[in-house]
Amino acid sequence: MNCLLIRISLNKRGLPVRSYRTLNAEELTIGRGAECNIHLLDPRIAMHHAVIKRLDDGQTHLVAINGELQVDGLMVSEVALTDGQQAMIGPYLLKVEPAPPDVNISVSLELSHRLPDDFQDLKARTHEPLQGSSSVKRKIALGLFAFITLIFLALPLAQNLSSRLHTIMEELPMGFDRVWSPGHISNAHLHFGSQCFNCHEKLTQQVTDAACLTCHQDTAPHIANAALQKQVFNQKHRFSEGIRCAECHREHKAPVSLTRQDNAKCVECHGNIKAVNAKTDLSNVHDFDKDHPPFKLTFITENQQVERISQTEKERLIEQSGLIFPHSQHVGKVQGPNGMADVRDLTCTNCHHPKGKEMRFSPPTFERDCKTCHRKELKLGSAEKAIYAPHGSVQQVVSAMQTEAPKQAATYLETLKTEGCAYCHEVLETQKEDALPWQIKPLTINHDWFSKAHFNHAKHRTQQCQACHDVETSETSEDVAMPDKAVCLKCHSGNKPKYKRIASTCMSCHEFHDAHATQEALLKK
Amino acid sequence: MQHNNMFNYKNYRYFKWAVMVILVAFAAYLLFEPAVGHYGGSWLGYGLGTISALMVFWMAWYGVRKRRYRSSGNTQGWLSAHIYLGTALTVLVTLHTGFRFGLNIHTFAYGMLLIVVVSGFFGNYAYMIYPRLMTENMGEDSLDGLLLRIAETDKLARQIALVMPDDINFTVDRACRETYIGTRLLEQLRGYQEDCPTEKAVKKLTVMGNDLSPEQRKLYRELYSIMVRRQTLVKRVRQELMYRSRLGIWLYFHVPFAIALITAMLVHIIAVFLYW
Repeated sequence: MNCLLIRISLNKRGLPVRSYRTLNAEELTIGRGAECNIHLLDPRIAMHHAVIKRLDDGQTHLVAINGELQVDGLMVSEVALTDGQQAMIGPYLLKVEPAPPDVNISVSLELSHRLPDDFQDLKARTHEPLQGSSSVKRKIALGLFAFITLIFLALPLAQNLSSRLHTIMEELPMGFDRVWSPGHISNAHLHFGSQCFNCHEKLTQQVTDAACLTCHQDTAPHIANAALQKQVFNQKHRFSEGIRCAECHREHKAPVSLTRQDNAKCVECHGNIKAVNAKTDLSNVHDFDKDHPPFKLTFITENQQVERISQTEKERLIEQSGLIFPHSQHVGKVQGPNGMADVRDLTCTNCHHPKGKEMRFSPPTFERDCKTCHRKELKLGSAEKAIYAPHGSVQQVVSAMQTEAPKQAATYLETLKTEGCAYCHEVLETQKEDALPWQIKPLTINHDWFSKAHFNHAKHRTQQCQACHDVETSETSEDVAMPDKAVCLKCHSGNKPKYKRIASTCMSCHEFHDAHATQEALLKK
Repeated sequence: MQHNNMFNYKNYRYFKWAVMVILVAFAAYLLFEPAVGHYGGSWLGYGLGTISALMVFWMAWYGVRKRRYRSSGNTQGWLSAHIYLGTALTVLVTLHTGFRFGLNIHTFAYGMLLIVVVSGFFGNYAYMIYPRLMTENMGEDSLDGLLLRIAETDKLARQIALVMPDDINFTVDRACRETYIGTRLLEQLRGYQEDCPTEKAVKKLTVMGNDLSPEQRKLYRELYSIMVRRQTLVKRVRQELMYRSRLGIWLYFHVPFAIALITAMLVHIIAVFLYW
């Protein structure tokens, strides 16, 4: 096969120069190797890249060996060399030229992709770090500024200022202003707390009591006297209009209790109570241990009045319940109803039965607590024909006597008046014209000795009853066996705990909103 | 041993100040605990918050001041104070939070502060460590000087590879043409290219030259040593770029997030008094 090879190169002025050479061989090998017929010295050319040869179809073909061939940008493994055909051998462009008469084929080769300059090429692939950093930083800063102002200021403000947006946001689980919340909302307020406007009614205004009273309208005031309550709590107070709910009930502090448990706020007034109300007869108090006044006991007088008497006035501490009952004979070993050998051990809970979670005590009843031992007091007549008077109203007793023992009724009733009923009850004489021969003084049982404080027996369960209630030596039911301050101070201290004494603040015993504990309420119990 | 750097400026003057500020803040925190526990809105909280806010502005002023050429005190002294008091400020703000965090602007502002401070710490570390490493790495060379030397090795390697078998030639050619030096930020920061062609070429060349003729083998050994040299040079350039990017990257956080911090802090203060 005769082949005319035209090498096209650029001269110094950059113009193409064609050099001609005729090759005569069966096959024309193209490659980097020195033994190739067409020797192309370029690192991108394989040692034996391709070959030009006549195939079985009689046409001359360019066939790839170890290198790559491309025709019109597509990889091919061979291509027929017809007139005008072009193919890329690595960086070289091969073109089939019109052949002169004495050769079989004429091809031109031109280096169309030069090797780039190493240094410039390398530089292009080397990137200086942090280029244009100040503009990047400016962009980040601007972005952050815009984000923060939009999310944390503009949207929450817009919701407050535009009533239309406010109406739309109302329906959603939370408003834009949720991002202003300074802390967790207490459990009780959680169901509406994610919408700030429920409490924060106006921008820049502190939460008002009106917002609280939307739900808590039946909360009792601190002072029962409405005029005094208003005077004390609405007086100008530092910067605020008065003492707001929110000063003691601090929201956004969960899991810390919503209600302040410390004394500071109480002592603000009660530390110098005359400054608040000059006419008060309360004494100043700062600390339970240091200067709490002696306890006052709540008495209900005969004419149904509530009176509170200080425990220091011992001579006035007389209970007039209408019962005759010596505690001293009902504690420890006592004689039972069945003869000398029946000795029973009595404790407080034999008669005082705790009820409820707070272990308050229901009053003892004859049927449950007295009858076992004291049934004999109601026994009438001789041993063989004994009858028992019922434990009930005088009317019931009289009726029972008249039906069961009509002949002896008068005697029996006289016995009951002087011995049976009078064993425990105060008996009142009646006028001659009255229907009943005598009357029993109505019982006045005191349910709440410390009406201004709360006491939970259940919390003191670990203690013996007699550690606080001195009843062993009480000979008469006039005695009041309520403990005084000194008894509490054995285990309790003031604002700070002391050695083996638990810290006790105002809130440990007192309720702030306790104006409901009025006289009427006490009498109703 | 360096004398008088930003850490021991005037015999640790600002370090002592910072320790004092922290101790006073801690003492106040322990002594004055409100009944509901610590929070930003207590009197102590307001105090700590106000001082911290003023300190943030003062810290930011350092950024303005150092770009000015009018002198107002020693820059080294300012930097020393910036570092130590900035650290103390973080403690103050942490106490100001009362350790109450939530999804809100308040905790967001605190987060911004932490980013600024942590990036500042990194900057500190970078300026302590990298300049020395850079000198060790570069010696008297410049970046362009190293690149020129790499280009030179490329030329030599290619020439030799021309007479080598195809696989060797292509490996060398790929190594020369496909080695990138720190294209993306992440690669610059890490200081290496994953599957670096140069490294791969050196590894491959150790086993490729087995069936060469004796005269080719001599050239092959030369080619191998050229490639190893190239690898070292590439590594040095990458190290240089890594140090440079690490010296600069923290400012991407420190400066924009300082702006974000000031914005968030102002919004935080406004928000507190809008609903209170």
